[in-house]
Amino acid sequence: MSVLRSGYVRPTSLGEALQLLAQPGARPMGGGTDLAGLIDRGIGQVATIVDLQALALGGIRGEEGRVVIGATTTLSDLLDAQDMLAPYTALLEATAQAASPLLRNVGTVAGNLCQHTRCWYYRGPEWTCWLGGGDTCYAQVGDHRKHGLQAGDCISAHPSDLAPALIACAATVQLGSAWGDRDIDLADLYRRPTATERSLVDLEPGEIILSVTLPAPPDSSVYLRAGERQGFSFPLVGLAAARHGERVSMCAVGVANTPHVLDPVDPLAGLDGHPQSAWKRTVLATLVERSLATVAP
Amino acid sequence: MTRLVRSITEMEGRFEEKWVLVSDDEPEAWASDRPLAIVGHETPRTTGPTRVSGAARYTTDVSLPGMLHVAALRSPLAHGRVTGLNREAALAVPGVRAVLDSTDTLSFRSRSGPLYAEPEHAGALLAVVAADTLVAARAGVKALALTIDPLPFVIDVDEAFRDQRIDGEIAEESRGDVDAALAGADVRVELTVETPTQLQTALEPHGAVGWWTEGELTCWVSTQGIFDARSELAKRFSVAPERVRVVADFIGGGFGAKQGAGVEALLAVELSRRTGRPVRFINDRHGEQLDAGSRPATRQTVRLGATGQGDLVAIDSEVLTSFGMTGWRAVNTPAMTLYRCANARGVEANLKLHLRQGNAFRAPMVLEGVTAVEQAMDELAITLGIDPLDLRRRNFVDVDQPSGLPYTSNQLLACYDRVAELSGWVGRDALLEPSEDGLLRGMGCATQIWWGGGGPPSHATIRIGGDGIATVVTGIQDIGTGTLTAAQMVAAEELGLPLDRVRVTGGDTRPNVYGPVAGGSQTSPSVLPAVRGAAAEVKRTLLQLAGDVFEAAPADLDLVNGRFRSSDGALDEPYTEVTGKLGNATVDGSGMRGANPDGMRANTFGCQVAQVAVDPGTGEVRVEHVWAVHDIGRVINPLGARSQVEGGILQGMAFALSEEVAFDPTTGVPTNAWLDDYKIPSIADVPAMTIAFVDVPDTALNNVGAKGLGEPPIIPTPAAIANAFRHATGRRALALPLTRARVVETLA
Amino acid sequence: MRLTLLVNDERHELEIAHTARLADVLRDELGLVGTKIGCGEGACGACAVLVDGRAVNSCLLLAAAAEGHSVTTIEGISRDGLTPLQQAFIAEDALQCGYCTAGQVVAATALLAVNPSPTVEDVRAGMVGNLCRCGAYPGIERAILRLGQVAPA
Repeated sequence: MSVLRSGYVRPTSLGEALQLLAQPGARPMGGGTDLAGLIDRGIGQVATIVDLQALALGGIRGEEGRVVIGATTTLSDLLDAQDMLAPYTALLEATAQAASPLLRNVGTVAGNLCQHTRCWYYRGPEWTCWLGGGDTCYAQVGDHRKHGLQAGDCISAHPSDLAPALIACAATVQLGSAWGDRDIDLADLYRRPTATERSLVDLEPGEIILSVTLPAPPDSSVYLRAGERQGFSFPLVGLAAARHGERVSMCAVGVANTPHVLDPVDPLAGLDGHPQSAWKRTVLATLVERSLATVAP
Repeated sequence: MTRLVRSITEMEGRFEEKWVLVSDDEPEAWASDRPLAIVGHETPRTTGPTRVSGAARYTTDVSLPGMLHVAALRSPLAHGRVTGLNREAALAVPGVRAVLDSTDTLSFRSRSGPLYAEPEHAGALLAVVAADTLVAARAGVKALALTIDPLPFVIDVDEAFRDQRIDGEIAEESRGDVDAALAGADVRVELTVETPTQLQTALEPHGAVGWWTEGELTCWVSTQGIFDARSELAKRFSVAPERVRVVADFIGGGFGAKQGAGVEALLAVELSRRTGRPVRFINDRHGEQLDAGSRPATRQTVRLGATGQGDLVAIDSEVLTSFGMTGWRAVNTPAMTLYRCANARGVEANLKLHLRQGNAFRAPMVLEGVTAVEQAMDELAITLGIDPLDLRRRNFVDVDQPSGLPYTSNQLLACYDRVAELSGWVGRDALLEPSEDGLLRGMGCATQIWWGGGGPPSHATIRIGGDGIATVVTGIQDIGTGTLTAAQMVAAEELGLPLDRVRVTGGDTRPNVYGPVAGGSQTSPSVLPAVRGAAAEVKRTLLQLAGDVFEAAPADLDLVNGRFRSSDGALDEPYTEVTGKLGNATVDGSGMRGANPDGMRANTFGCQVAQVAVDPGTGEVRVEHVWAVHDIGRVINPLGARSQVEGGILQGMAFALSEEVAFDPTTGVPTNAWLDDYKIPSIADVPAMTIAFVDVPDTALNNVGAKGLGEPPIIPTPAAIANAFRHATGRRALALPLTRARVVETLA
Repeated sequence: MRLTLLVNDERHELEIAHTARLADVLRDELGLVGTKIGCGEGACGACAVLVDGRAVNSCLLLAAAAEGHSVTTIEGISRDGLTPLQQAFIAEDALQCGYCTAGQVVAATALLAVNPSPTVEDVRAGMVGNLCRCGAYPGIERAILRLGQVAPA
């Protein structure tokens, strides 16, 4: 086992990285755009930063009708792989609208999928909210105009543009840790937090994403989103739709604290909204209608 | 010959009579039809190369040997009482050199604060820690381990009004009999609108570096007013002004918020005095967004009465402003001045709220007032079935109504005509036809009024030596408006030298050449006439010297584009033939801004038209095009003027679309006091912009004919957008900004 | 921790905190203060630098993570005099207060390196991470487009 001497390590083999990550307080870092912000605002304890950049976990490769995207592939890398990813329209559209070029040049696919919520109560130093280990979801008693539509202990809104696009395209993720690997549906990476597990991502301690795999592409797909200005904002509501034959998969963000797979029969089911966030129902309904029209044969 | 005279001066509508120094030798105003070689022609800004290469040094970049860095502890509550601060723990952090909190007796005078035991707004300073590095200072702040008890707070307008939490007196101004006129009006409209709290958000935060050395104080401050900062520091620290030097070479934006020295400079100086080290205090972004001021939110009710033909007979405006505990009152200025109306009343109150006190933000108060009055005018036009621009033309007034005084110039009618022509205004209803993209389109207009005449005192000196370079010394600071470039242009024009022979300086009080604060759109109309006066004096001397050198009568000579020429054309020599003989001697000139004309008011005017596209399904409002025509007197530099208007429109657009402080109702703390949640425009939000000026010199105002331009372009944009939204959707959003949430709720 | 940074083609041996951000190291340790900090959270782009030719927010990049890469700041870009892009910024008045300008120039330099003749849409998409509070965007757009027009086909 490695002995941690420094707060920053850059392992060169996956095995070494997973051993390092198995230790308490170790945090994986892809590009660090989310982590650096969290460190700056003092969110979470970071004893050791395990920088994954030297592991050759990046890159996009096609194999047997599938596409495998390495965890540390940057968002810009995705946009540079237009040819290979062209059949996954929603993913390219989502990536192009995510963040800014400056952030996409550094931010990784795994980091984007695991980023912390932008809830202002979670990130603001003036509050310790329920998700952050406190007693109260301040959004529910406070200002939740940008928050989710579900009931629950935490009404934050999931911020990733990539997650709904990948989920609609039926992506799986390959996870690795010192104790072994596993392969799950991306949708199952997310979970509703509980009183004892105040996390929105279902990763074991020390476990990281190794890659994301896209199965055979949908017949058509689209990503639509409503942001706070024309460019460079997190999605207030984002919706990906992908049609596989007759069946359309839809996944939304900005409406729940995890990416939310919509019921095709009743897309707004379970999304009743809170007084200040109910307006998002109108937006979501519009995006559903428009995306269905776009992916229709 | 210089004299002292009494003159009326004006700053953002506050008039004052004071003694000012004037010169009998001030040049006559350039005639409107006189062709000028440099003024009026597009000129790249003189600081361009420094700024684009990263060589410009802002206050945040000042680094001195042994310099300490400051981190701030701020209130996490809107109202609270500090119960615990562990100073010893903070001082024990390696590198920490000093801690100040409310229990310290500071060496500068202050009515309250700046360090609070009972903060009355979120983000108020509780303590500062100075350390060898910023990391150590921040660790010191953490070690203070603040404990604070919450106290009751009020940030809600309705609650404050119910409890009559009014700051001082309710201001009321009126003329005629408003109630009777309203009762007798053929048509009445009443509109209540709300405007948001907007943050200046200069990308360079407030900050200062203070350095006491042997009783001399040098202070680098990111300020819009170096001389105001000097006065403030001298007064507060009881030191003679000549022992205080304030430097602001480059300022990373101000937009009104960076007045005087600021609390950062006061504390940096205090800490420097205590530690004997230079001290730098720069706000972090969260501190800046919490505690550097704002354009306060308003709630305004406007009632208009008119004849059936559209002549205004009554204007009645009531304003509640969420200024914090105290503030000033000017929101009703547009209601009282914008249109001809014999019966007008403005009532205005500040609510005492647990908010950071508002301060100046580009066209403070007037932007807010125009936003309400111009939406009410739009409703009146709709009610009357009159073209909104025609309604405005019909109620045009050419005197300042509260004072009855004529304007030095007023080209507003020409602005209306030009903006209508450029925007295709008369055909705007064609936008209401269903479009293929499903968006709802519309067009709206709004009028602008602002002061911007400038005035004395403002001074400049020019020195030219053996190298032939003329150096203009001013006491102004270029916050990005390009006034130093304008000064360079005016000097070169008057001297008859090419631009590259003229250098211009500012941003330093040491030469003791006074310039005004960059506020109220007063810099250009104040300092440029002084620069021209100084240049005229230098040129007179140079012509004398040329007479000596070339054995000609000075009156027969002129200096044009760097060459001495005789009226018969026989003599045509480079000016360096004269300046080259100066050796180490110099020719100096000084100039000063003359008095403002008696019995007149100086104002800027304009009109903007906006076209929007609304997506009712997603609540998106996109501004597609803004047409702007303004009367700012003579346009000195069309290149810089266009930039000013573009920037003003974008800030006004964001006020209408996205910028708004959100307050947590349970703690009174702003939730979005960061740049990721507080949305200023990006390049992708920029609409098409068509910009024009009437460009008629205001020869009555000053010797260059220029009025100011900083404020005017932001003023009409929000109302024009709100009116375009009304045109497009048939609904009026009763509060700005037009976020998706508000649009969806308004259209529901 | 100790690390070696390659900045503007010069090697620097440094002793820094492991959480130190690249922006702070450039400014405070190397004196390269042309790189500005506007927000400290990747929202404004004033801190943009090139890392291996790509524009990034140096306020969100740990300096440690930049080891082994080539960092170019505005000082590096300006080393041999003003570039045509910088001259276009001046000519089009693509700046007012100038605080964001270094970041704008860095981002535009990276954009033009991969797309020498961008369209308006390319410029807007490519520059969206660089905020300008003064609103100099129209000039910035004109300046970048002007470069595209003179670039070799």
